Formats: sequence, structure tokens, C-alpha cells
Amino acid sequence: MSLFDTRPKVAVHVAQTGEQYPCASSESLLTGMLRLGRKGIPVGCVNGGCGVCKVRILDGETRALGPVSRAHVTLEEECQGYTLACRVAPTTPVHLEVAGKLSKPFSRGRADSATASPIPQQQ
Amino acid sequence: MGVMRLGHASLKVMDMDAAIKHYENVLGLKTTMKDKAGNVYLKCWDEWDKYSMILTPSDQAGLNHMAYKVEQDADLDDLQKKIEDWGIKTTVLPEGTLPSTGRMLQFNLPSGHEMRLYAMKEYVGTEVGITNPDPWPDGMKGAGAHWLDHLLLMCEMNPPEGINTVADNTRFMTEALGFFLTEQVLVGPEGNMQAATWMTRTTTPHDIAFVGGPRSGLHHIAFFLDSWHDVLKAADVMAKTKTKIDVAPTRHGITRGETIYFFDPSGNRNETFAGLGYLAQRDRPVTTWTEDQLWNGIFYHTGEAVPSFTDVYT
Repeated sequence: MSLFDTRPKVAVHVAQTGEQYPCASSESLLTGMLRLGRKGIPVGCVNGGCGVCKVRILDGETRALGPVSRAHVTLEEECQGYTLACRVAPTTPVHLEVAGKLSKPFSRGRADSATASPIPQQQ
Repeated sequence: MGVMRLGHASLKVMDMDAAIKHYENVLGLKTTMKDKAGNVYLKCWDEWDKYSMILTPSDQAGLNHMAYKVEQDADLDDLQKKIEDWGIKTTVLPEGTLPSTGRMLQFNLPSGHEMRLYAMKEYVGTEVGITNPDPWPDGMKGAGAHWLDHLLLMCEMNPPEGINTVADNTRFMTEALGFFLTEQVLVGPEGNMQAATWMTRTTTPHDIAFVGGPRSGLHHIAFFLDSWHDVLKAADVMAKTKTKIDVAPTRHGITRGETIYFFDPSGNRNETFAGLGYLAQRDRPVTTWTEDQLWNGIFYHTGEAVPSFTDVYT
């Protein structure tokens, strides 16, 4: 854990690349994901409206941070575990799949700075 | 005669309480009315009609419609004919369809966005009145925005398919509604494809703007502030209220506006900006931005591409 970030964190696993990042239970899955240092992770409105950070939760529990636009996650998709990474925080370790526009930055192989190390990258 | 100015924008919000708090405490609007359907109406202190924003409860974000005020009721008949002759169907919504508002002419732009025109909205006055007014009222909250100034709409553009609703909208606004072009972005191998346009009816650089994108939507609604210092103060307000800032204070090359972009709690992008840029006139030559200098037009100081600025919208 970084000297300046002593919050307890859980591991979040990205299915497509096998990457793993630490995410605090008080922050969104998207905020934690930025620590991977992968170029092009889209940070949009971070309020559930624009839909650029779509993920599917495969395993683990999350807590809602706010509403998610139906224009981007249909009821059917919600039942299949889809949500927006900016609007959920992990309460247990999570396995997720990146979806939609969020798939692109994860389709270019493992990033050099991608890390499963205990030292989070500076944002 | 004809269209005077932007009258209101109707936005979808996913959490009404959070939205009201945002528009009141961050931007400084005041709630003037609520209706039985749960819609909330707000205005800025320097506006004199009953409302300039409608928030509607929804399960998604985005724009319902925007409405422009025309000078005379008879303008609605005149414009209806011009719009229909141009090839766009219109519907007349009777007085009272929206509270405190007269009949509205409803139609869709070539890009699909719903637009309305109206001549009458209940007059309530600005917060400083009309007799020996102070320059600003006491008790302003947040940024203390003067008025809703303009919208930027993302418009479907797919050149290989021959779709360019930026160009279609621009032609429609010019030919049917009497707007004029102030600035444009021209792209493509020939440098002749309109990828973005800024248009006005008033004397400000834009009352509406259109930018090409994969699908039509709302890029932002913008509120006017007096000065660069007010822009700074607005950014302070956003920091204090933990409002998500998209683009920190900077200047646009296009329109010369001094600006901040941020998001409301449903993810609808807002702008607070200062600087009226220049006097927009029908005989002022149109400013053109080329593809290679586009990002200087958008963010003048850095000139750097910010993909989220063009990819993220509701």
C-alpha cells in the first residue's frame, strides 16, 4: 500500500487480460482501474450517464454508488451482471469483464505498466 | 421578427434531488415551479421568464428538447410554413402543454433532436428588477450563472454513408429559421466537409452549435458568467461541491470563450463560460478551423486532443 493511501483494498481481476488491481471499497471500480496505467481507459461523466465504462461483474459483490443510465445498460444486461464501472464499488474481491467502449484499451495486450504489484501507480 | 434566443432546455435526470442540488448550489439557479408529473423548472437570477431549465425524472440522462423563443405569436405560423416547406413535419402543441408557456411549434432537426419554438412564457422578472437595479442580487449561490446561453448538440455523421447531419442542420437553421453561421470546422481530403458549426440569431458567437459524432445526443448546455474571475470562482465551487470537472478553466479558440466543462449528477455535461468573444453579425466573415488545427480551436492553450471531450456525451 502506498504511504498516502492506507485504505483497505480488495483485488479486482480483469478477465480479458488477467490483470489485477487493488480497489478500495470506498471508490468506484473505474477509479481503481485507472491504477493499471493502461492508456485509453475512458473516464467519462463518472455519473452513470455516458456509458463509456461498461463492465460485466462475473463474480464478487459490489455496492451501487448511484443510478446507471438505461440507455447504456438494459434491464436484461443488468440481470446478466452488466453495469458501469463508475457507479459501483467492490465490497468483496471482484472478477469482471470489460465491455463496450471499455474493451478497446484492454485489447492491445498487457500494458507495460499493468500491475498486480502492491504499489499502486500514481494517477 | 422570428427567433429571438434560447428559451429553455429540458434534461433527463436519474436522481432528481441530486440534480436540483447541483443546478441550485453549483450553478446558482433557483427552482420556480414543480408540476404533478415531477418535473422541476428553474431559472437563473438574470433571466426574466419563468424558467430556462426543465429537469424531468428518467432512467437515463440526455436532452428531451430545447426551445427557442420567437418575438411574436404570428412568427410561429410563419416559421411553421418555412419549416414545412423545407421538408420537416411540425406539430403545434397547445398552450399549457408546458405550464406558464404558450403554444409551441414542435419538430425535429435533421439530426433528430427535438426543437420547439414558442412566443409566450410567464414573465416573473430578474432578481434585481427593472427600476434602479443593482448589478447583482444578494444571496446568489454557487457560480451565480446569469443565463442559459447555448447548447452544443452531437449530430450523427458518417461520411462513407453520406450522412452529415451537422451540414443538414446548418442548412436548415439558416434557410428555415434565419440563423447565421459564425464559425465552422472543415475536414476531409478536400477540406470541405462541415464537421462542426456554430450558429447564432443574437449578437453572440453562438446560440447553438453542432458537432459530428457516431450518434446524435447532447454534448453540453452552457451558462453565462461575467468574467474570467467568475470562471475561476465557478471552478472553486465545483471543487468545494466535489463536482466532476471534465475540463478545468481554459480558453476556446473557437468563439474565444473562457470555459469550464463539468458534469451534472446524471452525467449531462454543463459548461460555465465567460467572454462574449466578439460581436456576431450577419456580414461578419465566417471563421474556419482546419482539421490540423482543430484542437487549438477547442482548447486554445494546449492544442491537445482530449478524446473524452468528443467521445463522451449523453
